[in-house]
Amino acid sequence: MPSTSRICVRASLAYLAVGAVLGALLLINRWLPLGAWVYALKISHVQFLIVGWLTQFILGVGWWLFPPLQLGRQPDGTMARRGQATRGSESLFWMTLGLLNTGVLLRGLGAPLQVWTHQDWPRAASGLSGFFLLAAAIAFVLNIWARIRALGRGA
Amino acid sequence: MPPLARTFVKAAFLYFVAAFLLGALMMLDQWLGLGRWLRAVYLSQLHLLVVGWISQLAIGVAYWIFPRFRRGEAAEPRGSAALGWAVFYSLNAGLLLRFLFEPFLLMDRAPWLAALVALSGVLQALAALGFGWLIWGRVRPME
Repeated sequence: MPSTSRICVRASLAYLAVGAVLGALLLINRWLPLGAWVYALKISHVQFLIVGWLTQFILGVGWWLFPPLQLGRQPDGTMARRGQATRGSESLFWMTLGLLNTGVLLRGLGAPLQVWTHQDWPRAASGLSGFFLLAAAIAFVLNIWARIRALGRGA
Repeated sequence: MPPLARTFVKAAFLYFVAAFLLGALMMLDQWLGLGRWLRAVYLSQLHLLVVGWISQLAIGVAYWIFPRFRRGEAAEPRGSAALGWAVFYSLNAGLLLRFLFEPFLLMDRAPWLAALVALSGVLQALAALGFGWLIWGRVRPME
């Protein structure tokens, strides 16, 4: 598993743990009221689990396991070797991770902070999160598109 | 595919069918008005899909395909199977507990129902933490 995927999968596991604990808090709050502040965590719970955990986990495993780019002669005359070079642009993948996690954190932290502080800046942060997530989605699709192909003879 | 991974994946497919069946009934209910309880299972149906189906499939496949431990690094190549089974039972007990009791809680706010639904959340959170613990060391380069 390449370092890119390892960071991606480990980040997704962290979101799984935090998202599940937030979900447990939300359910405990229905039995033993912990305070009105808990309700504000619902958006964070959903965002951390759907985007932070599931989506990020799928991106990490997809980046690791999808068929490599076609092996061919590079501009310097050498043959491309299997590994990171045949997975696509590593820098674009890092950018995808940066954008995705910025989006998740802006939304996951901005939404409850908006309720707790009644300030405008968390609302702006939360509002901008969608563009970060959209940019991450576009960057990943552009990077992986050529790897969605047949693998092996007759495939 | 090891037995634990097969069990996770088979359970995931059962939730997949159950959630879609419930979804079909919910759609029919909007048309024919089948019963009040179908309007109370909305959240449970969502959790059957997100946790029971997609998350459980991801957990089962990760346990199967992630790089295994080298000889001498751990007693079992895929990590503790006992912990894996504990994750499976905890996750599914939590899911089923929530599925069975949350609709009644939404219709009748009895404290014992709230306690059972809270317990379901704790069981699912424990499963998530257990899976993270189980798989963390296997997120590493292949040989």
